[in-house]
Amino acid sequence: MNQTFPAAGGAAPPADSDYVAVLRGVDYAVGGKAVFRGLDIGLRRGRVTAIMGPSGTGKTTLLRLVTGQLRADAGEVLVEGRDVARLDRRDLYAMRRRMGMLFQNGALLTDLDVFENVAFPLREHARLPERLVRAIVLTKLHAVGLRGAAKLMPQELSGGMGRRVALARAIVMDPELLLYDEPFAGLDPISMGVVLRLIRSLNDALGISSVVVTHDVREVSQIADESYILSGGRVVASGTPAELREHPSPVVHQFMDGLADGPVSFHYPAPDYRAQLLGRSESA
Amino acid sequence: MKALALDLAASLARFLERLGGLARFALSLLWQSPGALLRPRLVVEQVYNTGALSLVIIMTCGLFVGMVLGLQGHDLLQRFGSEEALGTGAALSLLRELGPVVTALLFAGRAGTALASELGLMRATDQISAMEIMAVDPMRRVVVPRFLGGVIAMPLLTAVFIAVALFGVQLVGVQLLGVDQGQFWSQMRGAVELGDVREGLVKGFVFGVACSLIAVFEGYNAQPTAEGVGRATTRTVVNSAVVTLVLDYMLTAIML
Repeated sequence: MNQTFPAAGGAAPPADSDYVAVLRGVDYAVGGKAVFRGLDIGLRRGRVTAIMGPSGTGKTTLLRLVTGQLRADAGEVLVEGRDVARLDRRDLYAMRRRMGMLFQNGALLTDLDVFENVAFPLREHARLPERLVRAIVLTKLHAVGLRGAAKLMPQELSGGMGRRVALARAIVMDPELLLYDEPFAGLDPISMGVVLRLIRSLNDALGISSVVVTHDVREVSQIADESYILSGGRVVASGTPAELREHPSPVVHQFMDGLADGPVSFHYPAPDYRAQLLGRSESA
Repeated sequence: MKALALDLAASLARFLERLGGLARFALSLLWQSPGALLRPRLVVEQVYNTGALSLVIIMTCGLFVGMVLGLQGHDLLQRFGSEEALGTGAALSLLRELGPVVTALLFAGRAGTALASELGLMRATDQISAMEIMAVDPMRRVVVPRFLGGVIAMPLLTAVFIAVALFGVQLVGVQLLGVDQGQFWSQMRGAVELGDVREGLVKGFVFGVACSLIAVFEGYNAQPTAEGVGRATTRTVVNSAVVTLVLDYMLTAIML
């Protein structure tokens, strides 16, 4: 593999087999607006990788490219060495069975209770005896601390509980790659701490690879082995959380320290404020 | 004038594009329907949701449609001194026209909107995406059972509507206005043929296919926003009503 993305920690570039997924030279645009321009990212096996960046930089789009829900306009998205764009439907579904994804809003099936939500992938893909399904589901629910909530409906759960149920569902098929889309959004500090520890412990206990898309810098820095910061459609920095804190790039500095002023503008492009308030602007 | 022509051309292009999308969607549904029948529990659940849960509104409306038909029919036939033909006239109009058409309109309003909004909300809340990520085909798992449930439920609801409406006609014509009960039933039995019953059930089935297809298509392809789901629901009712009436004319012309 011709490595174009930086190796974390300044070490020698790792071998192909060290990566569970690689995005190489990826271009992607929506409605003529470029989201990615020559994006290079490698997701290392067995690690927790954080993908960070300001809102609208395409972090969720990146996950959808990895899962094959979106196709890149140019470049390659390789998962376990296979180009996702070249997979037919059967192979794509086979690949997805080895993945789990935690959606930002949980995406629990609202007509099923917690138990059936977690059991859903098992019932769809494996013809297991009911006793075994029950044992697996209860084990996964216990892992996220919600064994006692098995009979609740999704509408009866708090945001944090819903996220944890979705996490139990994401790991029920024992995936090799777990993708988290904004797992901390809208969580209270207790739930956030629980989810944070769960991501790290599940990654280590199950020996999987995890990708966490987030803009919660401090939180994810506690558990990430390596991080990428996206801006302007490409990677502007990568490395361990400690390395990123020392990074000289003003974009990284602005993002890590949460500053309003910097290369990334807080304001969407607009006409002069004073002129617009006084009605002198055409686009008032 | 040129702008108007361009607008019309653009509207026509959008309409044809949507029609093409509907045709592809329908073919996909038909292709996957036999497979869905291998999991009958999912289909039976949807027959319950679209059929059994629509029974109250179907029966209530059927009763009042029948009662109105009894009043109007009696008034009309009285002018010709042939009130006993009330049963025949009501049965034929209910079996061949009113039953399937009114049931389809009610079905679109009750079950069709429920299907469209449910699927639209599933898309808006990422449930459809979650299934795709779990390597579960949402067409096979969610859409096809709902479509088949509607197709099976519609002829059954049509039969229930007609039966209850006939009871309503009898209630008003015989019990209230004094039409002879023996004449009412015997004339009906003598005039109604198997072909009339078949016409009603065929129309019920065709309207069921059309209304269910429109509902699942609009819901599944809804924009994932509150406004998008609302629009999909509205389009379901409007398109179902128009298509039902157009199909009714075509089927009547063929079967008469």
